[in-house]
Amino acid sequence: MVNRKYRNFKELDGAVVIYPDNYINDIEGEKLEDLCAAYLERGFSKIVIDFSETDLVNSIGVSILIGIIEKVRHCKGNIAFSGLKRVNYDIFSIVGLTKHIQIYDTEEDAVNGNVPHEMVTT
Amino acid sequence: MKHRALFPTCPDGEFFGRVAEIDSILRRAASEERPAPSILLFGGRWTGKTEILRRVFHNLFWGQARVVPVYYQFKGYGTVEDFSEDYLKEVLKQYLAFRMREPKFVRDGISLDKIEKLLVDNDMYDLADIAALHREARKAGDASAALKNAMHAPAAITRLSGIPVYMVLDDIDLAEYQGPSGRSAAVARELISSLSSSDFSFVAAASSKRVLEGNVFGSVEAMELTGLDEELSASMMTDLCRQYNVESDTEMLRLAAFRLDGNPMYLKSLVWAAAKSGLKLKTLKDFADLYTQELFDGNIGFALRAAMGLKSINDLRVLHACSVAAAPVSDEELMERFRFSPVEMREILGSLSEAGLVEVNLGSVKWSGDSTVKDFVYFIYETRVKARSADEVRTYLAREVLKQGFDFKGSRINVRLSSEASEIVKSFNNQKVLKVLFKNQAFLSKFKNGSYKVSADRREDEELELPQVVGCFDTARLESGEAGPPILVAHGFQNGRYDSGSEVVWIVTVKDSLSPVNLGDVDNFLRRSQILRENFRAARVVRWMVGRDGFTSEAQKKMEAEGVHSSDAVQLKIIKEGLADSDGAARMRAAEKIVPVKEFEVVIPSATKAELVAARAVEEIGTEMGFDDVAIGQIKAALVEACINGFEHSRNKAAKVFLRFVSSVDRLTIYVQNGGVDFDRPGAPAISEPSEGLPRKRGWGFELMRGLMDEVKMEKVRGGAKIVLVKYLVKKGDSRNGQQEI
Repeated sequence: MVNRKYRNFKELDGAVVIYPDNYINDIEGEKLEDLCAAYLERGFSKIVIDFSETDLVNSIGVSILIGIIEKVRHCKGNIAFSGLKRVNYDIFSIVGLTKHIQIYDTEEDAVNGNVPHEMVTT
Repeated sequence: MKHRALFPTCPDGEFFGRVAEIDSILRRAASEERPAPSILLFGGRWTGKTEILRRVFHNLFWGQARVVPVYYQFKGYGTVEDFSEDYLKEVLKQYLAFRMREPKFVRDGISLDKIEKLLVDNDMYDLADIAALHREARKAGDASAALKNAMHAPAAITRLSGIPVYMVLDDIDLAEYQGPSGRSAAVARELISSLSSSDFSFVAAASSKRVLEGNVFGSVEAMELTGLDEELSASMMTDLCRQYNVESDTEMLRLAAFRLDGNPMYLKSLVWAAAKSGLKLKTLKDFADLYTQELFDGNIGFALRAAMGLKSINDLRVLHACSVAAAPVSDEELMERFRFSPVEMREILGSLSEAGLVEVNLGSVKWSGDSTVKDFVYFIYETRVKARSADEVRTYLAREVLKQGFDFKGSRINVRLSSEASEIVKSFNNQKVLKVLFKNQAFLSKFKNGSYKVSADRREDEELELPQVVGCFDTARLESGEAGPPILVAHGFQNGRYDSGSEVVWIVTVKDSLSPVNLGDVDNFLRRSQILRENFRAARVVRWMVGRDGFTSEAQKKMEAEGVHSSDAVQLKIIKEGLADSDGAARMRAAEKIVPVKEFEVVIPSATKAELVAARAVEEIGTEMGFDDVAIGQIKAALVEACINGFEHSRNKAAKVFLRFVSSVDRLTIYVQNGGVDFDRPGAPAISEPSEGLPRKRGWGFELMRGLMDEVKMEKVRGGAKIVLVKYLVKKGDSRNGQQEI
């Protein structure tokens, strides 16, 4: 199967990697939510959100991400995060999200399902 | 999509403050209590009453369904019948607009016949009957019935429709002046009767509380609208200057805001005038020039001339006499001074009172204008009555404005420095601080370019042991006949020993002007402290002079010779920061660690991603201070949360968030103020719990701030709330914030 890479997502075999913007607020969060919903509808069972380009996630962005995780699980899908910067890891940790989702260093690890790593780029 | 505008309001970018007032009115209007509590909003001319009422109306129209809002502005009419028809038309058409969600009905003029047809077409027959009744009354020439029908229409609609009408009544005091003389009383009487019926609730705006006097409105809350507070008006001016590309100075804008009583119309006019004439607002002279120009030939003068409506030269004489009087003047005194008959006096006072320029109460006449009106009265009085030239009066006024401005600047600094010095002395508690902070000459010779040069022998590390202060007071009582600034006396004990040998008295003075402490000041202080020390039987006296602008070299020499401590404003701030907590004091024991406190202010508008501007600012400040990337990321994230919270709780599209960054020796403190209603309370309840054990979705803002910063506090301040975020450069027992512990 041909892998296709677009500006903010990359389709792999059965999985999709999404690259959010550098700041996840309500607007960016909703775009992300729409994109995830569209892939779930198209039958993609694994979603990786790669935060390498994301400097900051605000609390509204966090709430949308929690909604996305909920939706993916509801559809029996699999979701993972990768490329988290330290501050975003701190934010997810304060909220308690790190206990509920697999976090990988790189998108490759996330896609291949390697052993999740605790950290993160600074 | 529908055009959502209703009544005209000023652009959001030019509307400042008043969020608390709007919020308070809205909460009462849409409260579950029935009838909702009514409000009388009173305040001087151009304080923003109309703007507030129209924004309240807009919010009620689009933001809730509990009450039907109706806005009405009283103005002059030919006859009582005309007034009745206009009032009834507005009530019915705005009711229709609200029920049919059709803002066009509010904006457009529609005839009563057409409104009646619309009511019938929409099966609102009972309400159509109210319009029909008016038609019948007019046909029969029964003005009284028409008036009664109109004024009681809100109550009738409330009763018939089951949805309460909420009246938003602007310039209610003008109701007395509706229609030709003699009939005006009927309008006022009927209005009072309808408002006191308690069948519907209202918010009404008037120039004074007078309308409440002698009337039984049930429970009406009086809400006074004064000028904007100093901080908000200065921010408003800063923003306007930016919008109109007027070069300005923050301290000067604060002065202008103070001098113009925070009146939004005056503040805007001044900035517009500066923009129009290409002038700056950077110095006292700029302000004096612009202000007098505006007052004499500009928008402010034009507006005042129209609003005051002086009918004769005698009105002006009386007004001038009241404006310069230190206390209320009796009408008899005025009659005698100006040779008026009682009838003339009554007419003059009636007209001045109607214009809101004086308050007349039991024969006592009190000036009720603001300082700008007073200046304007002075100008027209001097030119018209005294026949002075406009240039002469303008020169005099500019001189006075300059002198007052200079005093104002001095007094602000004095208040700040005196209270800071007093706070510092009270916080003395056996700490050790660097001696150089109490020796101005030595400090200045070593402190350059924001850092402190340390000599090889490290003499700069010499410490001064502060006493434990048990109490302090100023010497106003002890020196009642003495000229000069008050002296602060603090009693304490040295070395933690409470015996006579350890007793110490600190005698402190703060120079309260912009000039440096000179030899005369030092001599005055030495003489006074010599007399004062006779009052205290302490074993040891320590003398300390604080000068905002430092000290002359002669003064420094004399103080050095006499063993008097000396500190300027920079040293004082460093001492203050160092004494704020024990860790700070410990860090201040190394001379090279002395860093001046720096303050930065940023105002951000409520716009998409505006919080990122704040984040960018703090990134620069944090990097300069030496925070590492991790700490900067945490500060940025916490600040973004505080800004979002500030915007969310302002309930106003044009709300702004005011940020103050204070960078000191060991920490960055950020003050985030929203100029309006409360922020989210920490630990807000979870709103929704997602399934599968996931964290709740909302209410994380405060927890994120607390998790990312070292300290988070929330303070209630006048006109809003403030979040205080603190990040230490080095957290105790930790070096994660970017620096090694000292």
